[in-house]
Amino acid sequence: MNQLLQVKNLKTGFRKENGMQNVVHGISFHVNKGEIVGIVGESGCGKSVTSLSIMRLLHDTPGEIVDGSVMFKGEDLTALSERQMKKYRGNELSMIFQEPMTSLNPVLKIGRQLRETIQLHLNMSKKEAHQHAISMLKSVGIPRAEDVMNDYPHQLSGGMRQRVMIAIAISCNPSLLIADEPTTALDVTIQAQILSVLKDVQKQNEMGILMITHDLGVVAEVCDRVVVMYAGRIVESATVEELFAAPKHPYTKGLIASVPKIGQGINRLYSIPGTVPSPSNMPTGCKFAPRCSQVMEICKIKEPELIQMKEHDCRCWLYQEKEQEVEHIEKGSSARG
Amino acid sequence: MKKEVLLEVKDVKKVFPLSTSWFAEKKYVRAVDGVSFTINKGETFGLVGESGCGKSTTGRLVNGLIKVDEGEVNYKGNDLANISEKEWKKYRKPMQMIFQDPYASLSPRMKIKDILMEPLTIHFPKMSSSEKQSIVKELLGKCGISEYHLEKYPHEFSGGQRQRIGIARSLILKPELIIADEPVSALDVSIQSQILNLMKDLQEEYELTYLFISHDLSVVEHISDRVGVMYLGSLVEVASKQAIFKEPKHPYTKALLSSIPQPDPKVKREQIVLQGDIPSASNPPAGCKFHTRCPLAMDICKKEVAQLQQVAEDQQVACHLY
Ligand SMILES: Nc1ncnc2c1ncn2[C@@H]1O[C@H](COP(=O)(O)OP(=O)(O)OP(=O)(O)O)[C@@H](O)[C@H]1O
Ligand SMILES: Nc1ncnc2c1ncn2[C@@H]1O[C@H](COP(=O)(O)OP(=O)(O)O)[C@@H](O)[C@H]1O
Ligand code: SF4
Ligand code: SF4
Ligand SMILES: [Mg+2]
Ligand SMILES: [Mg+2]
Repeated sequence: MNQLLQVKNLKTGFRKENGMQNVVHGISFHVNKGEIVGIVGESGCGKSVTSLSIMRLLHDTPGEIVDGSVMFKGEDLTALSERQMKKYRGNELSMIFQEPMTSLNPVLKIGRQLRETIQLHLNMSKKEAHQHAISMLKSVGIPRAEDVMNDYPHQLSGGMRQRVMIAIAISCNPSLLIADEPTTALDVTIQAQILSVLKDVQKQNEMGILMITHDLGVVAEVCDRVVVMYAGRIVESATVEELFAAPKHPYTKGLIASVPKIGQGINRLYSIPGTVPSPSNMPTGCKFAPRCSQVMEICKIKEPELIQMKEHDCRCWLYQEKEQEVEHIEKGSSARG
Repeated sequence: MKKEVLLEVKDVKKVFPLSTSWFAEKKYVRAVDGVSFTINKGETFGLVGESGCGKSTTGRLVNGLIKVDEGEVNYKGNDLANISEKEWKKYRKPMQMIFQDPYASLSPRMKIKDILMEPLTIHFPKMSSSEKQSIVKELLGKCGISEYHLEKYPHEFSGGQRQRIGIARSLILKPELIIADEPVSALDVSIQSQILNLMKDLQEEYELTYLFISHDLSVVEHISDRVGVMYLGSLVEVASKQAIFKEPKHPYTKALLSSIPQPDPKVKREQIVLQGDIPSASNPPAGCKFHTRCPLAMDICKKEVAQLQQVAEDQQVACHLY
């Protein structure tokens, strides 16, 4: 079987005074072996909640998976106990975060943190783990790896810390790496280094990567397939070439057109009017309708389904048989009325 | 047509002491280390570079938020670098700032109305309240915030709306020069493009001159007429936008340009991945500060500083290759 990760109808929410508030609304996607899949969307659309759901790291936040399944190599992660889950995390399934400082222990030397992760998951002696740690640091392009083993996190620059995080994340040769905005906090020249390191280790280890980012440039640069999220839903997904060459959803089109491109020579940028609705104040119907330039009557009444079209999914009435639906709704409402 | 120079920054320097323990050797950061550029009236000068290279410090030196150690800041021909606090008052009005985080720069306990009226109250104590209100309403409208928001507090707005309010506030006193420090860096792309369009519209309408500080080269390319590229406190290249982006000369500018991920998977380009980290500003390399990462470094680069040289009409480069 080629599918490494299959997320099916995942719904995740947070407990509020007046009950559960869902922020991820039934999303489904998959990552194949050796494939880099991007999840892209603006802040608050549910990218991080999705990744934390897969890793089952929601309890700190305090969020909950409300429905759906996360199949990883044939096992449903949502059904595992915390103890079973620990065996996967950092081993078969690894994650890197935006801010490496928060996930490195500030009072432990880099070498010890790496070694402990390795020893926890791989059957190695202290000495072997130490050697393996050094070779991992070298593989992510850290110069003077032996010295860095003796450094504390605060002694390293942001780019170096992110490399260390990658080294820890890949030290047990995971088959899937989830990278949540791994380069967002870094400078462009350092970002270029980190992305090239990630692509190299991905190729060597045939690792699958779920790359979470708000940056369309990063998506175009590294991903094979892309999932576009808006307001906790998948609105479009396609191969990276297809998505940029022939985007379908008005939100995706708007997003691509909003990014300034060097050498484009235009005076005004395309801009999507308005802002993302907040989870407590979602419009009925299509969640993008208040900002959409092609909005129709039905969009305001009924939310479109995510329709599959030859490896290119899209959630928009422009691509669906809306006439029948309108009749449906009208009949339904007159029957009720 | 001869362009009118509004701002001329000449060999400006600023050193910050680093707070180390009292018995250790005193250390300094050369945050801005001899920076020179000019901005013509009505133009946008983009200042780019990576974190810590001295962009914000340069902006704050220009508008007098911090004092210049050495060099000149000539505004319409008057050197502001060495004037007294009292004389500065004259220049507070024509020079305004827009910041990256509009939230931090708007007082949380004040209503939008009061935030926007405050500068008028300070500078025009005799102005009537109704006159102030009408100025505020007009500007908010121009910035895309409707009147009925006047009674709200900053936390009731989204990031993009707060940036609009920040921009409106910067325009209240009819400034000539706006120093915008990463004004769109905290915003999502769809909001970023709204704000960039707004800044362009306002520039046209009010004949504004911008010093636009950003780490994002795509944004800088979009908005600027001329661009300065900074590295470790120094400008390495200053040129027209066309020259910087079509014919970059400095190896650092080239690397920076090639590092930007292009939002188009069909674009396959030669990428220059720089080796090593950005050196610390408290201990910059001798000679050309870029030599530790420069793929073209020569022997002379380790010893001698390269000065900015004119290499083409409106293109200056600081590199021994030229
Ligand atoms: N008040 C200060 N005291 C001491 N050092 C300072 C001070 N302000 C800035 N610096 C130092 O001066 C250098 C330049 O800082 P500056 O804030 O101008 O950089 P920047 O280019 O704006 O960076 P960023 O892109 O991260 O905003 C840095 O090394 C910084 O740590
Ligand atoms: N700990 C939390 N408590 C309540 N709501 C949360 C929490 N974390 C995230 N959310 C909400 O869930 C939604 C998705 O957030 P997130 O996944 O972090 O977005 P992003 O796509 O920027 O990563 C947002 O509306 C956010 O406000
Ligand atoms: S369903 Fe309607 S409102 Fe939603 S994106 Fe499509 S056209 Fe726009
Ligand atoms: S002066 Fe030398 S080290 Fe500096 S940028 Fe030019 S070639 Fe590179
Ligand atoms: Mg996030
Ligand atoms: Mg700054």
